[in-house]
Amino acid sequence: MTDLVERYLASVQRRLPEATAKDITAELREALEGRLEAKAAELGRDPSTDEVAAVLKTFGAPAVVAARYEGRMHLIGPVLYPWFWPAQRTAVGVIVAILVVLSAIRALASDNPIQTVLQSLDNVLGWGLSVFAVVTLVFVLVERTGDPVKLAENCWDPKSLPREHIRKPRSMFESGISLFFDVLFILFWMRFIPFPNELPLRNDASVAITLSPAWSVVYWPILALAVLAAAGHLHDIVRPAWSRLRSAMSIVGYACGLGVLWVIFQGRPFADVQPQPGTSPEELERALRLVDGVFLVALGIAALVWAITLGVEVHRQIKAGRVPLTGVRTAM
Amino acid sequence: MPIAEDILEALRLELRRGTLILAVLGTLRAEQYGYSLKTRLSEAGVEIDEGALYPMLRRLESQGLLVSEWREEGKRQKRFYRLSDDGAGALEQLTAEWRAMNAALNSILQEGGRT
Repeated sequence: MTDLVERYLASVQRRLPEATAKDITAELREALEGRLEAKAAELGRDPSTDEVAAVLKTFGAPAVVAARYEGRMHLIGPVLYPWFWPAQRTAVGVIVAILVVLSAIRALASDNPIQTVLQSLDNVLGWGLSVFAVVTLVFVLVERTGDPVKLAENCWDPKSLPREHIRKPRSMFESGISLFFDVLFILFWMRFIPFPNELPLRNDASVAITLSPAWSVVYWPILALAVLAAAGHLHDIVRPAWSRLRSAMSIVGYACGLGVLWVIFQGRPFADVQPQPGTSPEELERALRLVDGVFLVALGIAALVWAITLGVEVHRQIKAGRVPLTGVRTAM
Repeated sequence: MPIAEDILEALRLELRRGTLILAVLGTLRAEQYGYSLKTRLSEAGVEIDEGALYPMLRRLESQGLLVSEWREEGKRQKRFYRLSDDGAGALEQLTAEWRAMNAALNSILQEGGRT
């Protein structure tokens, strides 16, 4: 089957109840194969991408087709319903993300960051509920005054369907958590957030840990990669489905990340430890070994995870490239 | 004042909705898979989008009026539908209903034409 058909089927499948999704999609696949074979016989050649798109267009928008199987009828009808939650997710997600960033900035400038964050939560909840209500109202108005089926059919283009058959769309929760930690890391890396760097030893003695000079060489690359990761996760919140561009962005990010790790590994030890009053040379040596070992394990795990993820993304790019853009005789 | 196109379209859809089910049940007295069913209906002058046909088949099956099975034909797995015993009974009753309604409607429409 062609790339467009796979994208179409995956888009329908995602919107169907899990129990029946595979069976329904299998039947739709069979129906599409029949239609495309008939089209190929009529043309005397494989249909072009535009011709495949035209066949898909007659089947109906994925959201509309899936809604007909569900037959859900509430305040928001079956045609608009599949758009309802993605719209809410995007609208509420964006407003909450903006307010969280503003709250973080306000908390940093405040004498009592925890109290400021707690006060901001009330604000976030209020705005989130207001945006939810406005979006719901817009959908109800469109449902009552517009022609949802015509609207849905006009608003979709088979050629712009995401490749959901390559990877399931990321959940907003997953992307939101990742974005939160990205922002936290950026603030820490830019020294807006102080990080406790004192390692207590026995008898009130302690050592202060600082990053070794190797890290300063890659300060800007690390910041750039963290910003790239945050931008990617923000993009995932708005467009959770897999795309070649987003995947390429991840590949570049992980490859550069591995390069940065390699530079850091060359400059071992990873950290310096400065003795505080009362710290013996043996304790200092032991602390240095401990800190270096912790960094080694953490960075080693990061390198392994990044390398595997990089491989997976490259595999997805190859898989996406293998599905033919046109043709009906090539089986998947 | 001429009737608005969208109102006419909505009325046409409403009128067709019930008759499509009857057409599908009638065609499925002989076993068909989705694409062949659509072709048969089309040849008989009944047009239906696949996007509407397949959910309808599933609904009729869940109501016990159709039975289906996946089978290989022409090197492809296809889902074949046919009327169940209950479906055959329902078709018989609906056909009688349709004929009675058709006769009544003809009578009403002809009377309307005479006045």
